[in-house]
Amino acid sequence: MKAFENKDTGILTSLDFKLKRVRIGYWIMFGVLLAISLSFLFPAVWIILSSFKDVKEFLSTPPTLFPHSFHPEKVIKVWSKMNISRSYLNTLIVSAGDMFFAIVVNGLAGYVISRLKPKGANLVFLLVLWSMMLPSSVSLVPLFMTFMDFPVGHFSMMNSYWPMWLCKGANAFNVLLFKSFFDSISISYIEAARIDGCTDLGIFGRIILPLSKPVVTTVAIFSFNATWGEFLWPYLVLKDKALYTVPVQIFRMKSAGFMMDEYVIVLLFAMIPLLIMFLLFQKQIMHGVSLGGIKG
Amino acid sequence: MKTKPNKSLKKSGLGLIRRNSTAWLLLLPSVLLFYFFVWRPIGIGFMYSFFKLQNYVPTQFVGFDNYREVVTDMLFVKTLTNSFKYVLWSFVIGFVPPILFAVMINEIVHMNGFIKFSIYFPQIVPVVAAALIWYFLYLPGESGVLNILLGKLGLPANDWLQNANQTIPLIIIMMTWQGCGGSMILYLASLQGINQELYEAAKMDGAGVIRRFECVTFPAIFPIVLLQFVRQIIGVFQVMIEPMTLTDGGPNNASVSLNLQGFKYAFQNFQPERALALGVITFIILIVVTCFYFRLQKKLGE
Repeated sequence: MKAFENKDTGILTSLDFKLKRVRIGYWIMFGVLLAISLSFLFPAVWIILSSFKDVKEFLSTPPTLFPHSFHPEKVIKVWSKMNISRSYLNTLIVSAGDMFFAIVVNGLAGYVISRLKPKGANLVFLLVLWSMMLPSSVSLVPLFMTFMDFPVGHFSMMNSYWPMWLCKGANAFNVLLFKSFFDSISISYIEAARIDGCTDLGIFGRIILPLSKPVVTTVAIFSFNATWGEFLWPYLVLKDKALYTVPVQIFRMKSAGFMMDEYVIVLLFAMIPLLIMFLLFQKQIMHGVSLGGIKG
Repeated sequence: MKTKPNKSLKKSGLGLIRRNSTAWLLLLPSVLLFYFFVWRPIGIGFMYSFFKLQNYVPTQFVGFDNYREVVTDMLFVKTLTNSFKYVLWSFVIGFVPPILFAVMINEIVHMNGFIKFSIYFPQIVPVVAAALIWYFLYLPGESGVLNILLGKLGLPANDWLQNANQTIPLIIIMMTWQGCGGSMILYLASLQGINQELYEAAKMDGAGVIRRFECVTFPAIFPIVLLQFVRQIIGVFQVMIEPMTLTDGGPNNASVSLNLQGFKYAFQNFQPERALALGVITFIILIVVTCFYFRLQKKLGE
């Protein structure tokens, strides 16, 4: 087996595979993993396949596990019936704002703390780090109160996307991520720009961000994914049906009464954008996750 | 940490002040947002937990009354034990698999990408969608997907979430399905960081496969194991959206967690002061866990 001869990392290396019991053990392990993979995929595969079967099949006794009928036109019908284009658009608007706040506001914070270091910035950084470890249980009601009646100016942010957007500007993890990346940018770039008369904000926009593509992409991808999964605050804040994001819509559908065959399709729609993102950026996403463990 | 002003700045104090103030101007948006949406809410959360609220506005100082009401509520003991049950079951069901998966995937040279993809994939599904998918899988009666599977195997149908004894472990299975991929990636990253020479050295000493795992692999990933241990306690203890979507706390409050009860106090029973008191109690329990972790980490670091 060629594959074994080249294996030079991990517990088992090419020499071990000369033993028959190691090879048997390897194939058992592989079989177990394959079975696990398939069972992990099963729920999603079931959703995808069920999207195409007709309602009769859902109601027949016993119901079929995998479809016997194939109706792709149903997917399009549910798309317009449930007004998915509206909730897709809403979620896109939220995620665009979220990304802006995540990259610009958190990025600026990371930049100031890492590079400009004004007096007192370290205290801010410490407070930011602390807030990362604090559980959110206490702030549920106070945050709701803040959104209903903002302490300065006493206006309400209910039924708008501002609560979600503004909270993204206070994401401790992103600040930390940006700060540690900016720490590694050579100071000479910044010095040179300053000599050329660049302002601090100009340096951030023209030097720092372009040099930080990896971290900016990571934050952008994770921010996009987070928005498409974010449920609690959109659910509490958005009362107007026309403003619902996808997760709110699918949750509300459950209590509103539903046809199972249509519901399955809506769930599929909730997964599609994230699935596309994952297929496009699998490497960055997996790398980002491992970053979180080391830093968090 | 001392700031190191560069040479040109050292010359003039005025330049330093100007530099400081523009820097603060750029930091200001973040500080304001952190103040209004992170720090202040925690502060007023603690403060208002000692008040009666009317329409989310504090009206009267009542001392520990809210706490007394929460703790003497019939549901309190139930929600507290449920939250611990969630944590306990999450360790029984969900703690070891990501470690095992990572160790095995690290040894595998076939279909590596596919296996990683399928185990990580549930992580990208929105929590509500994931919970709803499992809601259909766990549907009791003939139309439930898992019951169809059982039927195919010739086994009798199960009540799944409707059976109060099974509810919490079943919710944990759903959460493990979703969350396990993320931990697996963490373990994999740490496994891939192991210096191969350590394995070579172990082999020279005649260590078998299991010995190598004990002496090289496990110690190397142990810090991440510890980190995940604490993270899991903190994360699972605060579980809310999964039971909210799957069971709404039922049957008969068998799956209400502390946070779900807090949510119900705040937005369904309109007793936000109780939600605050319960929030503070949860907060304190979790801070104790976090402190414990830091002490443990410090001890191990020495």
